[in-house]
Amino acid sequence: MLGATESICPRCRRVLDAQLVERAGRVVLRRSCPDHGAFEAVVYGDARRYAEIQRFDKPGEEPRERQTESIDGCPHDCGICPDHAQHTCLGIIEVNTACNLDCPICFADSGSGHQEHGYSLSLEQVESMLDSFVRAEGAPESVQLSGGEPSIHPQILEMLRAARDRDIPLVMLNTNGIRLARDPRFAPALAEIGVHVYLQFDGFEDSTQKAIRGRPLTEEKLRALERCAEAGVGVSLAAAVERGLNEHEVGAIVRFGVEHPAVTGVFFQPVTHSGRFRPDSDPLDKLTNSDVIEAVAAQLPEWFRTDDFVPVPCCSPTCRSATFALYDGEDLVPLPRLVDVEQYLDYVTNRAVPDLDVREALEGLWSAKAAGGSAPVAERLECVACATAMPPELREVAARGFMIVVQDFQDPYTLDLRKLRKCCVAEIVPDGRLIPFCAYNSVGYREQVRLEASRAAPAGASR
Amino acid sequence: MSAGAAGPGLASLADGAKLDDESLKACCADAYANPAVRWLLGEELHPGGAATTRRTLELAGLRAGERLLDVAAGSGASAILAGRELGVEALGVEYGEGAVEGARADAAAAGVGASVGFLQGDAEGLPVEDGSFDVVLCECSLCTFPDKARAVAEFRRALRPGGRLALSDVVAEAGTLPPQLSGAMATVACVGGALPLPGYEELLTAGGFSVARRELLGEDADLFARGIEERLRGARLLGIAPPEGAPLGIEQAIEAVRLARRAIADGLLGYAIIVAEV
Repeated sequence: MLGATESICPRCRRVLDAQLVERAGRVVLRRSCPDHGAFEAVVYGDARRYAEIQRFDKPGEEPRERQTESIDGCPHDCGICPDHAQHTCLGIIEVNTACNLDCPICFADSGSGHQEHGYSLSLEQVESMLDSFVRAEGAPESVQLSGGEPSIHPQILEMLRAARDRDIPLVMLNTNGIRLARDPRFAPALAEIGVHVYLQFDGFEDSTQKAIRGRPLTEEKLRALERCAEAGVGVSLAAAVERGLNEHEVGAIVRFGVEHPAVTGVFFQPVTHSGRFRPDSDPLDKLTNSDVIEAVAAQLPEWFRTDDFVPVPCCSPTCRSATFALYDGEDLVPLPRLVDVEQYLDYVTNRAVPDLDVREALEGLWSAKAAGGSAPVAERLECVACATAMPPELREVAARGFMIVVQDFQDPYTLDLRKLRKCCVAEIVPDGRLIPFCAYNSVGYREQVRLEASRAAPAGASR
Repeated sequence: MSAGAAGPGLASLADGAKLDDESLKACCADAYANPAVRWLLGEELHPGGAATTRRTLELAGLRAGERLLDVAAGSGASAILAGRELGVEALGVEYGEGAVEGARADAAAAGVGASVGFLQGDAEGLPVEDGSFDVVLCECSLCTFPDKARAVAEFRRALRPGGRLALSDVVAEAGTLPPQLSGAMATVACVGGALPLPGYEELLTAGGFSVARRELLGEDADLFARGIEERLRGARLLGIAPPEGAPLGIEQAIEAVRLARRAIADGLLGYAIIVAEV
């Protein structure tokens, strides 16, 4: 047994004692509900690495403001509640439920037809949600507008501008790229506001796209990227990765991203089994971070090893791992080979930290608030570069580091409440609460918020 | 990135240079004190870093209360480690004056300033009394000494009866390395002057030691070389110019490290711990 924690019953959501055990080299979370029986799910694909990376666990930081009281106990008081052990690095606002795709896999359960309890937020609502985020964080560093498909909201540009007006340095638009491809004015408008695009990009094969998105989309994705490159909009590719579907494409996605002028990073997200997902998904066969990291290293051995991916220490170390790569058009060298990143981000083995400024910069890079190519990331890469005796004029090169992130979100099967309490990605909801992302998708908050929002701001009202 | 005023600097390593013994020693000391060289070596001045140091001292059976002499102590990291982790009294002797000052400051910062000291001195004429140490440590340095037999005689002189010599060094099969891996530059890089394992054993036996233990660290040798290759590639793609007077351009340096890695893979080049008793 690797540890004791708490989880929920995926059916009735009641809190249950749970055990983390090693099975066939993987880490399995198991618990038993008196009404619905035993549930088991793989939460990490490499038990040795799981134990090894626990040292990358940075003590949590206080948010400025918590929005709820502890009444029913975790995870039923989400707000941020007083039991939560971390502030919020990244805030997400889902501005609508409508979409111009009908993906077979969608944790947000969005679509193009009639939406059960569909909603479309007003600009005023989004502004007030942004204000809640600013109150909670003081000076939040990154926010992402999502959906639904946020680009089809008629006031999306005003909403993005409202975020920029609150001095949030990294404002992201999470989009499937269809509007970017079809509307030649959209990318220049995003460039003018200073928006970073988080573009769904799951692979190149039609079979991958049909299974995840319902139809082939490569042409539209390439057109969208072309327009972003022309307009000077930075793009992170976001790939949902599902076992047996597109894990063989992760190397090709990284290579494409590294070489594309608009792309500054790639985010891999193992598919979560919440909202709409494949009915044959087996929680004991779920893809996890270690599987994706191994696939990248196996498919691009000339560029990456598994130890180039260092856990992000502000959340639980198994939630997110990242690396930065320096590329000059010919050769690529991951940053951890030039700077001993592990030494700086190891909070448990307690080795001497040579330079606290470098640690602070690395903490900002290995964080959920970072995206490749953004100004804060470039500044921090420069800071790290100057600590390695690089001449100042070359820090600019280092500042163009390409970011690769592997982020495993939890679902009702994999939810570990100990990890959840350190979650630093939150859904900002219309009443001003910040609900940790994995609780939002696993415990029933999404359904509640959607129901309330559909009453207050039904889909179609602002369109 | 000055190579230091006292020594001949990295420039003296230009292609095919032949150095006299004193210049070679000074050049070595300068090279390993150079910030660019230290970054390239990943702050671990020998394969395996602190782990190899711990293993070497373990094989030599160094215990609390004993006296350790670290010859060619460099930045002092190993002597400080021994003082901190094993509670021994340690003296580090280092040819480079600047390194000695830095090592003293590090020892004080590590809280072992009273038990771990450093002196400037030459391995071929150690500034210590006869029979005054239980263990002599010499890491990745004997291979660079111009007069190895004289250094070994000095190790023996410094040790008490029953004392142990804890050596870790580059091993190379004589005459099998490519020409790029020999010459003065390669000597300073611990490759050109390296001996095959039996060569070290003969040297020690001739010096009055009996070899008690040996351990090959092939994997550490490759990891060390791989790290250097990767940092050189990083420097190349960032366009970092080599320090003034560096003996090799970046492309040549990458090629030399790749040749070294090939030699390691072929078993022609490696790293070994040897423990010998008086």
